Amino acid sequence: MYPDELKYTADHEWVSSLSDQGTVRVGITEYAQDALGDIVYVQLPEVGEEVEAQDAVGELESTKSVSDVFAPVSGTIVARNDALDTTPELCNSDPYGEGWILEISVRDPAALEELMSSDDYEATVTSE
Amino acid sequence: MAEDPVQLRPSPLHDRHVALGAKFAAFGGWTMPLEYSSTVKEHTTVREAVGLFDVSHLGKALVRGPGAAEYVNSCLTNDLERIAPGQAQYTLCCTRDGGVVDDLIAYLRSPDEVFLVPNAANTAEVARLLAADAPGGVEVLDQSHEYAVLAVQGRHSDATLQAAGLPVGHDYMSFVEAPYGGVAVVVCRTGYTGERGYELVVPAEAASRVWDAVLDAAAAYGIVPAGLGARDTLRTEMGYPLHGQDLSRDITPVQARLGWAVGWHKDTFWGADALRAERAAGPARALHGLVAVGRGIPRPAMQVLGGDGAEVGSVTSGTFSPSLRKGIALALLSPGVSDGDEVYVDVRGRRDPFTVTKPPFVTPGAPAR
Repeated sequence: MYPDELKYTADHEWVSSLSDQGTVRVGITEYAQDALGDIVYVQLPEVGEEVEAQDAVGELESTKSVSDVFAPVSGTIVARNDALDTTPELCNSDPYGEGWILEISVRDPAALEELMSSDDYEATVTSE
Repeated sequence: MAEDPVQLRPSPLHDRHVALGAKFAAFGGWTMPLEYSSTVKEHTTVREAVGLFDVSHLGKALVRGPGAAEYVNSCLTNDLERIAPGQAQYTLCCTRDGGVVDDLIAYLRSPDEVFLVPNAANTAEVARLLAADAPGGVEVLDQSHEYAVLAVQGRHSDATLQAAGLPVGHDYMSFVEAPYGGVAVVVCRTGYTGERGYELVVPAEAASRVWDAVLDAAAAYGIVPAGLGARDTLRTEMGYPLHGQDLSRDITPVQARLGWAVGWHKDTFWGADALRAERAAGPARALHGLVAVGRGIPRPAMQVLGGDGAEVGSVTSGTFSPSLRKGIALALLSPGVSDGDEVYVDVRGRRDPFTVTKPPFVTPGAPAR
C-alpha cells in the first residue's frame, strides 16, 4: 500500500525520489484517498509558483469534505497534473500513478531526508 | 463529530455493514454506514438501477387510542383528512412560533392509529410534545428500537421487491402490510431520492433476513448497498430539505417553501397563528437552489453574495452533484433574489458564480448525462 521507493509526510502525501533534474513528484497516499472518499474536485497551483514547505498550495475536495494539498518541500512548481481537472477520481483509482498531483523543483535536496520512510509512515497510519 | 462513539447506537444491521466493509458516520445518535465503496458509485447506481439503504436510525413512534388521528391532525401541519387509511403523508411538527421541531412521515393506519417516522435526533422531542397534549385515552409510544427501516430505491425497485416476495405496485405514498416469514413488513412507496422506490418497516429481529433477501433478489439488477453519503447527494439533487440544515427551529415551513405540507384551512395546528401571519406578510428569506457555473462546491454556512458583493443569504445544504458533476446547494436567500439570477458563493475566500434555480436539479428516472 505504501511503496518503498517513495518518501512520505504526516499530511499523507508521497514524494518521489529526486530526479536528475532536481525535481520530485507529489501525490496522496492510499490511506489519504481512502479516508477522503470520492475525490470530485482538485484545485492545483500554477506552474512557476514558488512554494515553501507546509504551504497549502491546492485543495482536494471529496463528496463529503475538503482538504489542503501541502507542499512537502520548498521549491518551484514545475508541473501540475492537468488530467485531474477533468478526472479528479484518478487520485482514488491510481494515487501513486495517474493520480499524481504536482512536481516541485526542490530548493534544498537535504530537506528530503526529513521525510518518512514507507515503514515509518505505515506505522503512523496504523496508530491513527 | 462531537458525538461520543461509545454512546452511539448501532443499527440492527450493523454486522451486515461491517461485513460489507462500510465506513461509518455518527448520525442522530446512531452509527450508520456512510458509504460502502464509493458515494458516487452508490449514487449513480440508485439513479440508474437500484440501491438498498439501511435507514434504521429514523425514528418510529405510534400514536394510538380513540381519536388519535384527529388529535395528530390538530398538532402537525399537514391535513390528515387529505389521505385515507393505508396512505402516508409528509408533515411538520412546529413550535408555537412556526419553527420546525421536525419533519416527518405520518402513516395513517386507522382513525385510532397513526405511525410516525421522525428524524432520529428529534423523535424523543416529537413524542414528548405529542404525549404532553394528548387527550385521555391517546398514548404515544416511542418504538424506535423495535424496527429497522430499509429503503429500496431506483427504477428496478419493483422487480427487486417482487423477487424478494414483497408486495409492489401500490400508489405513491401508500403502504401495504405483508406477512414475511412469520413477521409483518410494512412496504410504503416513499423515499428520499426522487427515484421510484419503497421503504420497508421491518421488526428488528427480521432485519438481516430481509436485507439479505433484497440483496440476493436484485443481484441481477446490479443492486448495491448505499450509505448515508449517497442518500444526502440524492436528496440534495431533488431539493428535499434535511432537518437541522434546511429546516430547523429557526427556519419555518414558509421560508423553506413547504407551504404545500401545511393544511392552511384547518382549524389549528402547532404554529398556525405565526405561520399564517408570516405567509400573509411574505417571508424575510426563502429557500432556493443554486447550481455552479464553474467548479466551486458549496458547503453549509457559506455566504451567498449578490452581483454587487453584498450578502444575500447563506447555504444550508451544499454538495457535489454526481449526476451533474458540479456543485449544487440549497440556500436561504433574501426576497430580492429570484430564480435565474446569478449570485456568488464565498468558497473559502474565492467568489464562485452560481445560478439561482428551482429544484429539483435533476429529472428522476432520467439522469442528466
